Amino acid sequence: MFERVTLERRADTSALRSVIVYVIALMVATALSLGVMIAAGVPTGALFEELVVQVFLSEAGLARTVTMATPMILAALAAALCLRLKFWNIGIEGQLIMGAILATAVALYDIGGPARLPVMLAASALGGALWVAAPAILKLRFGVSEVIVTLLLSNVAFLFLQHLLFGPFGDTSHNFPTSPVFDETEKLARFGYGDTNTGLIIALVAVAAIALVTHRMRFGFAARFAGDNVRAAEALGFNTGRIMLISILAGGAMAGLAGGVIVAGTEHRLTQVVGLHMTFNGIIIAALARNAPLMIPIVSFFIAGLSVASASLKVFYGVSEGIVLIIQGIILMTLVTFQFATTYRVTIARQRPT
Amino acid sequence: MIEFLTAWLGSLPGFMTPLLLASLGLLFCERAGVLNLGVEGVMAFSAMTGAITALAGYGPGAAMALGALAGLAVSIPFVIAVIVFRAPQIPAGLALVAIGLGASEAMGRDAAHKPFLGLQPIPWPEWLTDLPIIGRLLFEQDWMVILSLLLAIVATWGLFRTRHGLRLRAIGEDPATADAAGVDVQLYQFGALMIGALLIGLAGAYLSVAGSQIWTEGMVAGRGWISLALVVFAQWMPVRAIFGAVLFGGAEALIPRLQAQGLEVPVYFLSMTPYLLTIGALLLISLSMRTSQAEPGFLGRAYTRQDR
Repeated sequence: MFERVTLERRADTSALRSVIVYVIALMVATALSLGVMIAAGVPTGALFEELVVQVFLSEAGLARTVTMATPMILAALAAALCLRLKFWNIGIEGQLIMGAILATAVALYDIGGPARLPVMLAASALGGALWVAAPAILKLRFGVSEVIVTLLLSNVAFLFLQHLLFGPFGDTSHNFPTSPVFDETEKLARFGYGDTNTGLIIALVAVAAIALVTHRMRFGFAARFAGDNVRAAEALGFNTGRIMLISILAGGAMAGLAGGVIVAGTEHRLTQVVGLHMTFNGIIIAALARNAPLMIPIVSFFIAGLSVASASLKVFYGVSEGIVLIIQGIILMTLVTFQFATTYRVTIARQRPT
Repeated sequence: MIEFLTAWLGSLPGFMTPLLLASLGLLFCERAGVLNLGVEGVMAFSAMTGAITALAGYGPGAAMALGALAGLAVSIPFVIAVIVFRAPQIPAGLALVAIGLGASEAMGRDAAHKPFLGLQPIPWPEWLTDLPIIGRLLFEQDWMVILSLLLAIVATWGLFRTRHGLRLRAIGEDPATADAAGVDVQLYQFGALMIGALLIGLAGAYLSVAGSQIWTEGMVAGRGWISLALVVFAQWMPVRAIFGAVLFGGAEALIPRLQAQGLEVPVYFLSMTPYLLTIGALLLISLSMRTSQAEPGFLGRAYTRQDR
């Protein structure tokens, strides 16, 4: 087709250009998302109220948004740690579920005595790391695509969760598939502001720790290097396999911790919907934050607002929950499409080449 | 035992067909160098469209056709992003999954959980259907089963016996060389993605129109991802995809049969088996070939003329 149009890869892109393209992409994604919401039956006049006032400016709404953002921060860290090394971890939900399961197991079987909460959180991180270990080893040792394996293991984790909730972990006092409510010593302390809890502090500490390692320590430098160019890193003597394995396991641990924070901080029991949509949430937040740890809490806050708003749109206007997924898809698709403007330069030849 | 075998073999093609159609669709995309991770979402969207069409009173043929077209329609943003704007294919594919799953959930809400009369088996004389073991396998199947097998053969012919197929494979292997030889890389990728989307759409529509004859959320249940693995397992060969689909479909078909036999395994563990089997198959195939020579050399990467 377009013989006169040629694409050149840009050697490097100015910061200003990146920012402008990013902002335009965000505006396009927002416009498309609003269009989807209106098409789904939300009155145009209610959009500002539902999407801004109710989730960011009202006291109860803001509390819900912050509560929702807490596990999202951890899920996004999980995505960013893996994506940075081009390991497509699309099984964050599965790792989160395994984390939630192990934390619940510690609570239900009363393991750890006085150190119950720390043991729960450690167990959740361990669960997530273990669940990502298999795809990591399959990828690094045998070259099996991590995309398919992480996703399928997510389905396996969900089935295991259902097995536990309808079986050994089920609360026999009612017919809903949930675990019994945890004891007081097994709950993260609340701030007295909605459901916000110390899970937020855990998430922010994790952000700070990962930012420190990424930007200030040798390992983080090596990891960023290996992510950008594996061969060059190997040629310079970095053990890229080890770097990748550690980063991926750390990512899985973050996803697991997100599960631990949800059950111990917000839900106070294990439910079927723990981890719902968290894979996409994590990946989209990481993509919007460009894998920069310090950007993740900010982006998480806004994406959490979107989730909270969609819950109330569902109640008040009967809008399907599928809308959230569509909007997430639109944001991601727009972002990767606009990447074109920072990666390539388009030149149009005056004449057809002969 | 014979009863069990007859029932199992009889239900096998119904499980095989969607996997085969989806992996044939993917095969076209991947042979042209494009990794289309969106299958799961496209299949869901097509399954929903097929169900809505059938519920509106149209025949199963129309439902299948509209389902396939819906697969094409929902793939358009992905096709434009990947071919025109050279977007990274993995996140673009994931975005397509989200859009497809979300749209099927939102648009199919009113059609959910409503049974309809879908695609029926081709009527054969009863004494043929009643034959032990092979009766139901051969004489209680719908025409889509036959069509999917024919399509696999046509795909083999198209990819390996025609000029267009050669060009398509050349693009997936080495787009720079194909480009230098005068092949329009983007045009062929566009064509491959369109054929792929139609086939994947057909696979999705089959799930609702012929398989369950009802639309429910989450009914694709990972089959899109399994198809992605199946393409690797088939080493990008359409005829091998038939064997893969028979194997995976056969395993899937075993689950309800074993349950009917009253097998004492917790139901959720039984449901895990297709996923675990898929992972096992991927591991096996990577162990048996040290380097995956069959994989298109340029799979998943964006091509620009300057790069050559």
